[in-house]
Amino acid sequence: MSTLALSIPTPRLVSADLLKLGRRRGLVAVTGLLTVGAVVVTYAVMELLHVSNSAKHGPAGGITNLGHVAALVALLGAVAAAIVAATAAAGDLDALVYRDLVVTGRSRLALYLSRITAGLLFLLPFVAAAYALTAAAAVGFAASNPAPSASLLATTAAWAVLGVTFYYLLGFGLACLLGSRSYSIGVLLAFRLAVAPLIASISTLGVVRELVPVVGLQHLAPAALGDSVRMGPDVPISVAATAAVLVAWAGAALLLGARRDITRDA
Amino acid sequence: MNTSTSLPENIVETDGLTKRFGERLVVRDVELRVPRGVAFGYLGPNGAGKTTLIRMLLGLTAATSGEMRLLGLPVPARRAEALACVGAIVEEPRFHGHLTGRENLQIVAAARDADASSRIDASIERVGLTARAGDRVSTYSLGMRQRLGIARCLIADPELLILDEPMNGLDPAGIQEFRGFVRDFVAEGRTIVLSSHLLDEVEKTCDTIAIVDQGRIAVQGSIDELRGVDGEELTLGVDDPTRARALLAAERSVRSVSDNGHELRVALVDPAAAAHLNRRLIEAGIAVHRLEPSQATLEQRFLEITTRLENAA
Repeated sequence: MSTLALSIPTPRLVSADLLKLGRRRGLVAVTGLLTVGAVVVTYAVMELLHVSNSAKHGPAGGITNLGHVAALVALLGAVAAAIVAATAAAGDLDALVYRDLVVTGRSRLALYLSRITAGLLFLLPFVAAAYALTAAAAVGFAASNPAPSASLLATTAAWAVLGVTFYYLLGFGLACLLGSRSYSIGVLLAFRLAVAPLIASISTLGVVRELVPVVGLQHLAPAALGDSVRMGPDVPISVAATAAVLVAWAGAALLLGARRDITRDA
Repeated sequence: MNTSTSLPENIVETDGLTKRFGERLVVRDVELRVPRGVAFGYLGPNGAGKTTLIRMLLGLTAATSGEMRLLGLPVPARRAEALACVGAIVEEPRFHGHLTGRENLQIVAAARDADASSRIDASIERVGLTARAGDRVSTYSLGMRQRLGIARCLIADPELLILDEPMNGLDPAGIQEFRGFVRDFVAEGRTIVLSSHLLDEVEKTCDTIAIVDQGRIAVQGSIDELRGVDGEELTLGVDDPTRARALLAAERSVRSVSDNGHELRVALVDPAAAAHLNRRLIEAGIAVHRLEPSQATLEQRFLEITTRLENAA
């Protein structure tokens, strides 16, 4: 069998990695709360406010609120992504069972790719469910607000999933590199929630800010959502440059993580 | 059993195997030969480089220099093929505590060949964990984890089992049970490499050993060869040691006689002379209540060898 064939994870291997994640009750609960839970709570609060005082609080649905909640899904989804990625990447190392997988003779690259796939398969259904609720509420509770079109819902979904997937891949590579769940979660959250927004807000840095992924991801948000998804200054950046920045960050993290995983003393 | 195509005489071979961590030489130029179908003890004090050697064989850490062959296959070049027929426990067996015993085996089976999953139930049954296989591993005792570790090895249907300090932390019953597993596996034609610092256990469990110290193999061979069982000494208990000593000293088949106050130690020229000496003592009216060949213990040999190495260092 060729080296390439041995490096491709089998469906059984991916299922096994998915089982490891799915059986973690805490992980399921936290991921659910950060995605589906956050959306349910947000819309419930907005709708209750509207029902209690419709003169002061507008309908919970509509395009603007879609933008707000989609931004929330992207932000908390990134937090969930950091946690899931760290668990998928470093769970075997933390439990000291990585060596038992290596001694089966299975390619370390196959083990690595299997964990990436399993983590995404675990995470994305939560994000999809959260966004499905968001979309349904945006339309269902629109009332007097303009309801989002199907194409806007689709592009917003793609944007939210892109952001979450990006932070998942970044977090996965980082966790493999560091070999620790807790450190990688801490580093990624600090970067996403504090360091990146801070750099993006320093206007004197000019085009250097384009290298920060949060700038490009924000710029990729559907224009129809307007300022409702904005969580910082809008830095002009082309789609090609954004794609290059995101690919470079995620690619570098995954390559470094793979290299560390393949060469580490297990 | 999962059998490789070729059947080399030695199931594990290393040539000039060396591992260095920075300036520290942990494994030095090791030439290991593990014959097929035996329980092989890799015996040495803590820090002798036993685990590092095992980790190199299993591809967990890279060798600094030297060559290795598992089941006749060069590793790491043909590591995947070789390890498909190998089961291993490295240090204490570890598992995902949040998964059940059976789920933990499913995880490893998924990384092995397609048939591995079908061996899970039989492996669990063999180590006597059927009743607890559905429980989370976090609720298992150390002994149960050791047994689950053996089950994890068995799902590969291995020709070779490499067990690193498998008896650490086990109670006497657990040790005895573990010894039984090892002997059963050897009887099935499997080869066991058992690394340990527990002399007594290696002596009771293994057929062949290598004594390692300071990263080097000092000596390897069968247990009998190493402890020098040649029947050339007798321990005698008699009712009249003074007369017995004088009588034995006059015999041509006796090299020397010593008396420690309770019993006589008789060094023989001819190992077959024990019966003759016994008859001579009885004919002389001396009652013999004890007569047994004295054997150097593996412990004596081990201390001899490791002390010699320490002095040479």
